[in-house]
Amino acid sequence: MPKEILLVEDSPGDVRLTQEAFRDANRSIHLHVAADGVEAMAFLRKERAYVHAPRPDIILLDLNLPKMDGREVLARIKEDDNLKTIPTVILTTSDTEADIVKCYQLQANCYLSKPVQLDAFEILVKSINDFWMTKVKLPQQTRSGLA
Amino acid sequence: MKSVCSPILTTAPSRNLSKRKDVEKHLVQMEGRYRGLLEAAPDAMVVVNQGGEIVLLNVQAEKQFGYRRDELLAQPVKNIIPDGFAERLIADSLRSAEEALAQQIDTGIELIARRKDGSEFPIEIMLSPLESAEGTLVTAAIRDITTRKKAEANLLQKVAELNRSNEELGQFAYIASHDLQEPLRMVASYTQLLSRRYKGKLDADADDFIAFAVDGASRMQRLIQDLLAYSRVGTMGSDLLDTSSDDALRQALFNLRGAIEESGALVTHDPLPSVMADEMQLTQLFQNLVGNAIKYQGPGVPRVHIAATKSNGKKWTFSVQDNGLGIDPQYFKKIFGVFQRLHTREAFAGTGIGLAICKKIVEQHGGSISVESQPGQGSTFRFALARSERKPREPSEKRACPKKFSWSKTVPAMSD
Repeated sequence: MPKEILLVEDSPGDVRLTQEAFRDANRSIHLHVAADGVEAMAFLRKERAYVHAPRPDIILLDLNLPKMDGREVLARIKEDDNLKTIPTVILTTSDTEADIVKCYQLQANCYLSKPVQLDAFEILVKSINDFWMTKVKLPQQTRSGLA
Repeated sequence: MKSVCSPILTTAPSRNLSKRKDVEKHLVQMEGRYRGLLEAAPDAMVVVNQGGEIVLLNVQAEKQFGYRRDELLAQPVKNIIPDGFAERLIADSLRSAEEALAQQIDTGIELIARRKDGSEFPIEIMLSPLESAEGTLVTAAIRDITTRKKAEANLLQKVAELNRSNEELGQFAYIASHDLQEPLRMVASYTQLLSRRYKGKLDADADDFIAFAVDGASRMQRLIQDLLAYSRVGTMGSDLLDTSSDDALRQALFNLRGAIEESGALVTHDPLPSVMADEMQLTQLFQNLVGNAIKYQGPGVPRVHIAATKSNGKKWTFSVQDNGLGIDPQYFKKIFGVFQRLHTREAFAGTGIGLAICKKIVEQHGGSISVESQPGQGSTFRFALARSERKPREPSEKRACPKKFSWSKTVPAMSD
């Protein structure tokens, strides 16, 4: 069964880079993209154009986003009984201590800094795949059906 | 000095005539003794009794406050110094006037004085007791410090401006380098992707061009990361705590273990003291200096020796000595500049930030860094750090074995 990932990222360059890296790491992944926080929440709540959106197995969340930023998206996900079981991985260029602490306070499942070098970024994506897509047991019963 | 007809030392009229006569007699005696002294003083002088009344004054005082002598005598000193002086004359019940005064002798008190025309100016007064038949009088030497105050205010303003612009500059470097990283990451990543996927599939020119783009982007990334590291020295840390320089060096050598092993360098050190430092920055300092010593090696086995000697002013002077390539004295200043390099990138990699960071770290610690060298004869870098405020750990008390790290096993170079 293919794994569904929601990537919340506003930079097209980063989106493509992440797609390329996942293509190398695991071809069976469906990578969905939301370009801002509002769109991400609509996707997760299957609103508007996203009525048929799948429930993602994990969320990759950038912090600096237009409209609704990543911290608020994270807070809303973790307040929502239905959504909070979806592992939410922060994937951002910020490596400030304040952001790291804030995200864990908001129950982020882990915090990853985007490496500057392409090679390192590809290795990071591969390790996301190896861990979250392969080794981790995800809750099966909520994967489909529950909206 | 012009001669003065009326007695210089004049006392206030007193209701008690006989007492007044005694006092006058006494003052005449005092005048003989103090006249020259009072008038020779460059400052305005007033003598005040315990009741806060002016009993004596000199010509400078008349000039400075714009009063005639008779307008000041027997008047409250509050007329010319509204606050802070008269209050000091009144001894509280627990202390004698002498005790109260004794505390203020030799210490200048800054107050505000008022002229007859109501204008005010800053003064510094020095108090001293004067024994007399009337009891203890207080002599106040009053200096107009308008010019000094202006200069001080000017200086403070300049310092504040300087601090602000320095801070802005530091912030600017940080923000610029941080924000530049983002678009650059895109350029670097995609040129690398291009190179990886299309190398040999286009033509030879395309391969060349892509290679130059990849190289340029990755070099710029290193520059920006180094600039970020450099600006971080200014914005982070700098809490100077009691730090073991021995531990800091140990950590630095641990971080350098790869380079030490690869070069076969012999790194030795004397027992090192505790100093007031930011441990991370001190580690970085040792790491950059020892790293350079190994990197710019001459023929033969690289040898590096780190030592510390006590110097004046409660400091330790550290030295990092190597037998490397050495540096021509004409470049001594240049090498501490940001992105200054003496070699081609082909000969030695690096952006030229290392010694600039060293200089900034040492300066953040209130010291300076210097180098002694001749080409072909190795280099010695020296810097001073304040001694630990606690009882410094004497070299002889130094622990013999490394505790925290196991570098001594992996870096045979370290055994003396």
